[in-house]
Amino acid sequence: MNLKTRRIAEIDRVIHEPGRLMIVALLSAVEQADFLYLQHETEMNKGTLSSHLSRLEEAGYVEVVKTYRGKIPQTLLSLTAEGRQAFAQYRRRMKEAL
Amino acid sequence: MNSPKEAKMDQIEKIVQRPLLYNNIDGTGEIGTGFLFLGYALLQWISIHLPEASIWHQYRAFLGFALLITTIHFGVKAIKKHITYPRTGYVEYRKRSRTCGVNWGGMAIGAGVGALFGVGIALVHRSHWGMTTLAALFGLVLAAGYAWRIANAVRWKWAVAAVMAICSLVLAKLPAGLVGTHSWSTMFPDNFEGAWLLTMMLYGTILMISGGISFVLYLRHTQPASETAE
Repeated sequence: MNLKTRRIAEIDRVIHEPGRLMIVALLSAVEQADFLYLQHETEMNKGTLSSHLSRLEEAGYVEVVKTYRGKIPQTLLSLTAEGRQAFAQYRRRMKEAL
Repeated sequence: MNSPKEAKMDQIEKIVQRPLLYNNIDGTGEIGTGFLFLGYALLQWISIHLPEASIWHQYRAFLGFALLITTIHFGVKAIKKHITYPRTGYVEYRKRSRTCGVNWGGMAIGAGVGALFGVGIALVHRSHWGMTTLAALFGLVLAAGYAWRIANAVRWKWAVAAVMAICSLVLAKLPAGLVGTHSWSTMFPDNFEGAWLLTMMLYGTILMISGGISFVLYLRHTQPASETAE
């Protein structure tokens, strides 16, 4: 395997999926955002977005906090330290692989 | 031209920038800046028209600016809380630049603007330029900054950047007497305050109108989310 192929093989598959990549990229620029913001920016439906978030939460990349804004339920999402590190590494590896 | 892979990396970079642009999705960024400029112009106008001995002259900078900044801070916060967040979601920005390390980018821009201002004042003193020329140059810098930060993301804002640039050139052609003859100190030319009052009024009005249009468009194209669990 040459170096370039090895770099591509090392790319994090959890982040590389387009929907999840968009979520992680958006969260990387903020401290936290709510579910509605991610839905608005990604234009995904609730089910798809929830499933991607569950996958990212399982991988330990995203922290999900359920809270209330007044009487309205609110889901706050943020990247964990591990998630930030994984995204930084993903960007680095992608640049190297291109 | 970029290869498809490079285009993908560019796309990632653009997505990372989107939360920052979200701050002005409702036009509050421009409305706040426009309000600041117009408020500054009002304070300037009051200070020109009140007698020198007035108590206003001792406290206007502190009280006036404190009132302006407080109004903008809480006004924008209220709009975000009651209108923007229920419609398109809540975002809390990272505080890294304020809490850790030095914001070198901001400091470099501040130093650059300060240096330009100093050079401009020096040129005015040597009587090659009028104050309106300096104000017009300030306007062109502002228009360029606006085009870079805002018009790049929202296409119709290029028209606003163009209006700003045209107004800056018109400002340079105005007769010096039109802007009044008053200044804070002997360090600055006589019509310093008048020229800045005019400049602030002009750009404040443009930004308020542009921000107002963004706000109306935002309200028309978004709906408050239903009150169900996510």
